[in-house]
Amino acid sequence: MAAMFSQNPLMNGPNYSFNDAPRTAAPEGARQHRFDPYTDNGGSTLAIAGADFAIMAGDTRLTSGYSINSRYHPKLFKIGGTTADQKDATIVLSVVGFAADGEALKERLDAICKMYRYRHGKPMSVKACAQRLSTILYQKRFFPYYVYAILGGLDEEGKGAVYSYDPVGSYEREQCRAGGAAASLIMPFLDNQVNFKNQYEPGSGVGHALQERERKPLTRSEGEILVKDAFDGAVERHIEVGDGLQMMVITKDGIEEVLLPLKKD
Amino acid sequence: MDHRPQAWGRPRDDVYGAYDHSYLQNSGPRQATQAPIVTGTSVIAIKYKNGVVMAADNLASYGSLARFPDVKRLRVFLDSSVIGFSGDVSDMQFLDRHLTELSIDEAYEDPSSDSKAGQLNAANLHKYLQKLLYKRRNDFDPLWNQLLIAGFDGDSKPYLASVDLRGTSFTSPSLATGFGSALAQPIMRRYAATEEDAAKLSREEAVEVIKECMKVLYYRDARSLDRYSIAVVTKEGVELKEDEQLEKQSWAFAEQIKGYGTQTV
Amino acid sequence: MTSIGTGYDLANSIFSPDGRNFQVEYAVKAVENGSTSIGIRCKDGVVLAAEKVITSKLLKQGANKRIATVDRHLGIVYSGMIPDGRHFVDRARDEARGWRDNYKTPISTKDLAGRMGGYMQAYTLYQSVRPFGITAIIGGYDSELETPVDGEVGSGPSVGAGGKVEGKKHGGPFLYMVEPSGLYWGYYGAATGKGRQAAKAELEKLDLSGDGESTGLTLEEAVKEAARIIYVAHDDNKDREFELEMTWISGADGPTKGRHLEVPETLRKEAEKYAERMTAKDVEDEEETKEGGDKMEE
Repeated sequence: MAAMFSQNPLMNGPNYSFNDAPRTAAPEGARQHRFDPYTDNGGSTLAIAGADFAIMAGDTRLTSGYSINSRYHPKLFKIGGTTADQKDATIVLSVVGFAADGEALKERLDAICKMYRYRHGKPMSVKACAQRLSTILYQKRFFPYYVYAILGGLDEEGKGAVYSYDPVGSYEREQCRAGGAAASLIMPFLDNQVNFKNQYEPGSGVGHALQERERKPLTRSEGEILVKDAFDGAVERHIEVGDGLQMMVITKDGIEEVLLPLKKD
Repeated sequence: MDHRPQAWGRPRDDVYGAYDHSYLQNSGPRQATQAPIVTGTSVIAIKYKNGVVMAADNLASYGSLARFPDVKRLRVFLDSSVIGFSGDVSDMQFLDRHLTELSIDEAYEDPSSDSKAGQLNAANLHKYLQKLLYKRRNDFDPLWNQLLIAGFDGDSKPYLASVDLRGTSFTSPSLATGFGSALAQPIMRRYAATEEDAAKLSREEAVEVIKECMKVLYYRDARSLDRYSIAVVTKEGVELKEDEQLEKQSWAFAEQIKGYGTQTV
Repeated sequence: MTSIGTGYDLANSIFSPDGRNFQVEYAVKAVENGSTSIGIRCKDGVVLAAEKVITSKLLKQGANKRIATVDRHLGIVYSGMIPDGRHFVDRARDEARGWRDNYKTPISTKDLAGRMGGYMQAYTLYQSVRPFGITAIIGGYDSELETPVDGEVGSGPSVGAGGKVEGKKHGGPFLYMVEPSGLYWGYYGAATGKGRQAAKAELEKLDLSGDGESTGLTLEEAVKEAARIIYVAHDDNKDREFELEMTWISGADGPTKGRHLEVPETLRKEAEKYAERMTAKDVEDEEETKEGGDKMEE
């Protein structure tokens, strides 16, 4: 099972998520046939934190092998609102990986956030919700939710917050994160464009004298353009990504949702 | 991608290498293995302006043997929804009995004859089945089926969705299970690529597309039959015909096929 | 009551020297105080009707149903202690479900009546329990058609052994009444509760025993008669207002398609109008004959 969680592109050439296990023969002797409870439904997600906003994004394609099961299956969910349409929610969860686990995880986290809200009379902070999500994931350490989750919202100071997770609950707060099938395609782009990795002040010198470009948070419109560019790139190079781009922008005024077309090929 | 129900739930050949069938010859102690035995092949369905059309052939296979040629795989629920079953037939019977009990329980509280309000609609039914199949997957005791559920949602709009043995669920203007996802889905998407397209289709057009797809499936799927069931779900109820014959077959194309396996001329 | 003070009325499972179980007889008293319920079995179906006395203006109209669905084709109405009736219905549902689990086929009305009769009777045997304070009327329509076994997927071989006995009539409408003693009998028409005497008298006047296609009451006529009988059995002077609750069960080719359903509102209203008209006429007739009598005397 370990191979399933591997995101190591060195294991095999083109890094399709369903092709990431080495083709080794099963050991001789005792063998067991078992139902394989997991599958990979492809797709990709992305989140960027700004000074006073957070952008969450994901494509809407749902795949199974080379088949497209659905062209519109959202990976972004508003969490912890008090109504069915979640219009007063303040947190967004994105899940990618095994869709059935993603659905189950979303419903559990949503129920927990709702209970918190009813009991305490206030919405859960992203920080608390982030820790709780980690606990939920780790509770299933030996039969994990096969999902890469990202949680987005605004922290207690109103700054954009993005928390990213591995399937068993290890998490950290980051400026930006890409998850899922095209994570390895999008993440380096984000490193360069959000955290200005490998960008230096022109003419500042050579070797150790080189000065890094000063890091500052992106504006909202810069962020949205970056997201669209990242996905357009991923769609071009990854067969499991495409159809539609769902984007949610969390600000102090609430959550705005945008739906953009992506290539359907 | 191998679409036969026998391949469902198995480790993928292209990931883990060729499947090891040696456990079938094992004369040692029986292990708690799971595999579909008597199986039904594809179910296909498409939405149209006022409802949904669904079809499945009347065959239950035992491996490659056409074992039961008179098996009805479309089931009506509460006179308002249709469920199409592919995969294991005994699991289908279990689900059918379970749903019969459920529909009797539903009638306890609402015995009024002329109102369907307050009864489980197709969207509710789909959610219920998704939870059931996901629970069974978590218990490593899966129900070896992929289901299509057709009917209407809470807003009285046509509804079509799928659930499989792992609890993965999704919706789309047209859906197909098994071989149908490779053979029928592309044809159906020509007529209903988006929800908007589907909302323009007439009932006659939708039925025609489904019949055409059933024909293609009979041409190419060796585990299929030319007798089939077809259901049309409208707001008025379900019209189910269970003993239809494929019409206007033409096997002329078969002459053109050359070059498979050892055939050289 | 001669039993009082003898001690034989204090416990279930003890007979009095003259062979009576007083607890059961007291349970019957509880039924006799309950609001009226009736059932009519006619040639093409069964009608169940209940007089629901409105005990408070704060109760929502049409809510708090008295007649319960047990399986698709079965309904139960009861008079007496309503919580006992609720439990009785719960048990009936369990029996019907258990039958389906075992035999993969719906329970017949007769079998359900048998099971429920046995259940009621068990509550007359032990110190630790008291008998049910209800009399229940069980109505059902057992399908005459070749019905599939639950979960059946095909029609099977068209030739060979099996199937129903040719020429024998299978299924049809059935009506049973179960009393607190556990006694149950099949009836053409059944009535229980406060107005049972008047209701029985009216039921006896109906043509219910005709099993032929042409003779006997139709289901629609039975609905109207059921409404009328509830109105007749209702005592205007003593009781407060009441609501009429009616359900019916027809065969697969009838209006309910073999299911136990509420009588549609339009038909119920029609039946109620008919009932009001007929009861008003009865009163008029009575007064007329009275006047006539007076004249004769003069």
